[in-house]
Amino acid sequence: MRIELDRPRCEGHGLCEEAAPQLMHLDDDGELVIDVPEVDGPDLDAARSAVRVCPVAALRLAAA
Amino acid sequence: MTMRRIVVVGNGIAGLTACDSLRSAGFDGELTIVGAERHHPYSRPALSKALLHSVDGTSVNGKGDDALQAHVLPAPTHEAEELLGVSATGLDVEARRVLLDGGGGLPYDGLVIASGSRAKRLADGQGAAGPHQDDSPREFTLRTIEDAILLRERLASRPSVIVIGGGPLGMEVASGCLHVGCEVTLVSDAKPLSRQLGGHLASLFTAAAVRRGLRVVGGGKARLAGHGAGARVVLADGTELEADLVVTAVGDEPNIGWLAGSNLLTEGSLRVDSRGRLRPEIVAAGDVAFFPTRRGVQRVPLWTSAIDQAKVAAAGLLQGDAAPEFNFQPYFWTEGFGLSLKSVGFTPVEGAPDYCEPGREDGSVLLRWDNPDGYGTAAAVNYRIPIPKLRRLADAGPAALRPVSPARV
Ligand SMILES: Cc1cc2nc3c(=O)[nH]c(=O)nc-3n(C[C@H](O)[C@H](O)[C@H](O)COP(=O)(O)OP(=O)(O)OC[C@H]3O[C@@H](n4cnc5c(N)ncnc54)[C@H](O)[C@@H]3O)c2cc1C
Ligand code: SF4
Repeated sequence: MRIELDRPRCEGHGLCEEAAPQLMHLDDDGELVIDVPEVDGPDLDAARSAVRVCPVAALRLAAA
Repeated sequence: MTMRRIVVVGNGIAGLTACDSLRSAGFDGELTIVGAERHHPYSRPALSKALLHSVDGTSVNGKGDDALQAHVLPAPTHEAEELLGVSATGLDVEARRVLLDGGGGLPYDGLVIASGSRAKRLADGQGAAGPHQDDSPREFTLRTIEDAILLRERLASRPSVIVIGGGPLGMEVASGCLHVGCEVTLVSDAKPLSRQLGGHLASLFTAAAVRRGLRVVGGGKARLAGHGAGARVVLADGTELEADLVVTAVGDEPNIGWLAGSNLLTEGSLRVDSRGRLRPEIVAAGDVAFFPTRRGVQRVPLWTSAIDQAKVAAAGLLQGDAAPEFNFQPYFWTEGFGLSLKSVGFTPVEGAPDYCEPGREDGSVLLRWDNPDGYGTAAAVNYRIPIPKLRRLADAGPAALRPVSPARV
């Protein structure tokens, strides 16, 4: 699966980073960077929690 | 005992997260989620923000029709059987059965209570002294997507609005109404946001609100009074106010009616242990539950609180005493009147901040308080900062913000 970010929606809450620090982080300007866009196995669970926690639904998991 | 059938009551973010967490933890038995709302879970925080700060399809940040979608969350992937538009009406703890409206019941080995809360209504508290059914002004509240759509529709004609309640929700509603061009009066018996955030942050928001044209009125407890097409509000000190529309945001009440007679309530409330449990086979999470925190047993009806509680409860249900205990770390955000606030750590915070760092833009600032209990609270106002970093600032103080310098030779 592929993590996709709808950038204009993202408000930089960074809750997703807390859920999946191994997959994404906010840079010093508060822009979200997806470090590992293609995920499977155990990373998929982390990616799902990250997608879920975002209160503005800026993240999506799409078929790779 | 082994759990083969788990029932989750409530299809908000807590119910959803519980289902996801049960699956992630390896639960592959029968999972059923019962939800009174006909929708998949959506983002309630978005209802008073993007959704309300737009009418006629344009939003604050020019995102167009997208504003009407701001609350939509990705579809669930937990493959639970979903009974949407169905309410639990009772619980038989001994027989381990959830009773459903329309008759019938669901047997369970494990139960997650995530029925959330509903908006308190001012009219309910007024009892017989309240306005009569027929001439009572319609009291708007904001909890569901239907509420939000109805309110948007009413705002389209730019009515004058009285908002009752100076908490974060009342302030966001007031900001939304102002933003779309209404004349807005906010009635609050304390300084807006002071109870939730403390005087310093409350002043920042109130000043911004007043600059944008919000009229703030004190005067004690408000009462709704009937009057033709519009609405009349009477304050304890006798002040009378009139407007086309009244929106109340005076708190929320846990949805525990269906648990009456279940013996799960302690003094009328649902209190879980540090692993989210009420009994070994029953857990609760989200806005419905009181849970132990560093500042005592509380209900913390907030988004990340609901998510974190649900994760703890799912583990507590599957692993019992072997599950980790909940270490609640508050995260709160609100926006309105051109300000956006994020805070980590317990609020309200007393007095002026102990640390203050202006950001690059006008009005952007990072703040920290040392609390009397030895823990810190950090807040970012119009300041983009990763939450983990804000958490480090709250926990370890300003030193946590500096890059680690190489050791001196
Ligand atoms: C307008 C608004 C703005 C908000 N803004 C913020 C914010 O900026 N930041 C923040 O942190 N928090 C915010 N919150 C709070 C946050 O949205 C809630 O804490 C969170 O949504 C709670 O989730 P929950 O799943 O516990 O409860 P709920 O979302 O209430 O879900 C419970 C679900 O259970 C259903 N239900 C109830 N009884 C039964 C029954 N007997 N049988 C079956 N189903 C039942 C309900 O219909 C509901 O769908 C806001 C809330 C609102 C209303
Ligand atoms: S949680 Fe959502 S809004 Fe926040 S940084 Fe992640 S994607 Fe952006």
